Amino acid sequence: MPGCSLPSYSPSNISKTIGFLQDVYPELSVVQKCCGKPTKALGQVDLLKARFGSLVQDIKHCEIDEIIVACQNCLNMLKESDEFQTVSLWERLPELGLPRELRGKAAQSDVVFSIHDSCPVRDTKGIHDGIRWTLAELGYKTVEPAQTRDRTRCCGFGGMIVPANPDLAKRVMDRRVKDMPTEHIVVYCAACRSSMLMGGGKAWHILDLLWGPVVTQASQPPENVLASPVKAWLNRYKSKAVINRTIT
Amino acid sequence: MSVQFTGKVLTIATEIANNCQGLEAPFCQAECPMHTDAMGYVQLIREGKFDAAVQKIREKLFLPGTLGRICAHPCEKVCRREAEYGQSISIAALKRYAADKADREELWDTTFGHATGKTVAIVGSGPAGAQAAIDLRKEGHRVTIFERLPVLGGMLRVGIPAYRLPHAVLDFEYGYLDKLGVEIRRGVEVGKDIAIAHLREQYDAVILAHGAHIGMMPRVNGSDVAGITNAVEFLREIAFKRQSNVLGENVIVIGGGDVAMDCARSALRGGAKQVRLICLEKECDLPASKHEQESAAAEGVLFTFGWCVDDFLSTDGRVSGIRMKNCLAVIDETGRFNPRLGGDTHELQCDTVIFATGQRVADIADGMLKQTSGGRYLVDKDTLATDVPGVFVAGDAAGSTIAIEAMALGRKSAISVSRYLQGIGLTEGRNFALENSYKSKFEVPLPPDVVDLKRHHPNIMPAERRIQTFDECDLGLDDTTAFKEASRCLECECKDCMTECLMLNDFTHCPGELFSVFLAKGSIEAIVPYSCNMCNQCTLVCPKEYKLADAFAGMRKDFVKANKGKSPIKGHGAIDIHQRLSFSRAFTIRRKGRK
Repeated sequence: MPGCSLPSYSPSNISKTIGFLQDVYPELSVVQKCCGKPTKALGQVDLLKARFGSLVQDIKHCEIDEIIVACQNCLNMLKESDEFQTVSLWERLPELGLPRELRGKAAQSDVVFSIHDSCPVRDTKGIHDGIRWTLAELGYKTVEPAQTRDRTRCCGFGGMIVPANPDLAKRVMDRRVKDMPTEHIVVYCAACRSSMLMGGGKAWHILDLLWGPVVTQASQPPENVLASPVKAWLNRYKSKAVINRTIT
Repeated sequence: MSVQFTGKVLTIATEIANNCQGLEAPFCQAECPMHTDAMGYVQLIREGKFDAAVQKIREKLFLPGTLGRICAHPCEKVCRREAEYGQSISIAALKRYAADKADREELWDTTFGHATGKTVAIVGSGPAGAQAAIDLRKEGHRVTIFERLPVLGGMLRVGIPAYRLPHAVLDFEYGYLDKLGVEIRRGVEVGKDIAIAHLREQYDAVILAHGAHIGMMPRVNGSDVAGITNAVEFLREIAFKRQSNVLGENVIVIGGGDVAMDCARSALRGGAKQVRLICLEKECDLPASKHEQESAAAEGVLFTFGWCVDDFLSTDGRVSGIRMKNCLAVIDETGRFNPRLGGDTHELQCDTVIFATGQRVADIADGMLKQTSGGRYLVDKDTLATDVPGVFVAGDAAGSTIAIEAMALGRKSAISVSRYLQGIGLTEGRNFALENSYKSKFEVPLPPDVVDLKRHHPNIMPAERRIQTFDECDLGLDDTTAFKEASRCLECECKDCMTECLMLNDFTHCPGELFSVFLAKGSIEAIVPYSCNMCNQCTLVCPKEYKLADAFAGMRKDFVKANKGKSPIKGHGAIDIHQRLSFSRAFTIRRKGRK
């Protein structure tokens, strides 16, 4: 389950990640739907019940043993509901191991990435470890900001404050970028990536690093797709099409 | 939109409003009867901002240099470094340091309100009367102080010896009264030269702050001879002349408090060859401050603990010795002062006896006001009002025992008078707890990197030189020591969440304030809960781990409930559309893998 922001950001990351997982899990099912976290954040209790319920129905339809999630909010929502055995993709990666051709691919990169952890999984150490393991496997050099792992800070996107108080959200984003010891930032949430870009940082999603070209000092980060509703919805639709095509 | 907030929100809000440490005053500030921002000025001294430090002190105290020298500093007793390590910050010495270094008239706030046409008479220019005069003058009332003596300051001037408080310091700081335009009539004794009844007719309100200037002496056989006096008269004479007509060469001071120490040390400076202090208490129970006792001992004062004077011996009409009985207990089973004497007797020779055994308040009101123990006037303890309308009492005449308490009572009486003059009820909506010393509820764990750093002391003149003169013997802190001392302050304030969270700073000074206002009003602007990132960073740093995000999430639900299922925030219309699409067939898919 990729969540919302990731498919809106990058259909190609969706496609490659599904391909990778299918190699390990030939019977892989995929559900693209929102978990309702934004509805919850607004305080819409009844709507949330209905919406999350519809997601549960979709997952049940797939008759799965376990659900692997690439979005930290989806992960928490599903864990809270306790309906399914749920694991984060970032925790699972070290267990599966990276494809041989990816290992050490960035060993020659001259970039040092600052790691930004997602605040909803502040207390999930396995995810922090998985991300660092993945970056090390790829060969990237990394550095930690002072507020990292269980002390990480919000990227500015949390609580649906961007539409409510954009000025404040911008200041939170700016501050988080300032926390980073280096110019290059790696995240594992597409919304966090958008925030880091808004705050003036150069940010990549960890899947960009897995499946994309090696990042060097000369590289520019992918554009802030989520800032453009048209592009984001188009991507979301493309991601859906990818899933439709891949899982047959 | 009328929003009904639910139980959970109210529960969290109440807990935070009552117990958030953010609005809790540091121990020193809560304990100070005048609530001086000691932490604030200590920080400024550390930063080398001496003008700002003086101004910070002067926000509450017009006597920085005086109190820096003679305040009994209750603040230091509750300092966290005292509680943790028995090494309180030298708050008083730092205050004096700032005053000596930077205080000057240009820094004084000499503004006062528009003339109200109301007049107030204040009897006595001690710390209580002066404070009341300042507060009332600031409000624009016309204030007249009646001072019996030719000098200002009450006991500060004629009770505390100059070697502890140089007169120049006091006179300079009392200059503030002139700057404010307080009228002062020296040498006028109310109750003798002018009757209280007359003041009541001439002025809209009257405050009695004439202190406790009658030295008390227990009844002892043979005391009607020359050479026997009391602390009040002796110290007053010393204040004016630096010597005393009664003083001989072999002096006995009776009493165990700080006033007794003042008498003994002044007697040495006045030329006595031997000074012995006799008190009922055992050494360990001595009421005097340790510092005063040690200073007296270093100067050569002899101590006889646990004895009670029983009889005077005299030769040619002058005292020549005392006969004493041993004292077994000072306090009885009910906790009252009630000395129990034993059968041992002892005689000591002397030519002078000074009783430092308490002071009482003179009745200057011709019996118009009821008096209680020690002559203190019977007053409403919250408002300091007497039975007579328009007549209030402050300072030692109302029960204070140290200067800073007297000032707090001066301020309290001024608040009452101000209300009285405006026709506002004396108690209406008034928080009496804040008008006096209170206990801070501050309870934040010590940061892990805090270590015990020893208290620094001011430079003191050697004892053998001290007793030659009435010059000040405490030479104060030097620059280096003052900086080190100020740097020891643990800064007992909790601002951790405010340092961490940007959003809270847009709306409040601390969560305690935010939720108190919310509870008081029963409402909150929707933008407040909808500006929370729900990131729990506040909870991470909060010593009480308060979950503000839960309170804000609860509020959001209540807003939605009151707003027909929608967020009250305009921008959230976009989220509604976004969410509808995110669950729509167009953008969702479920694909079951092949078995």
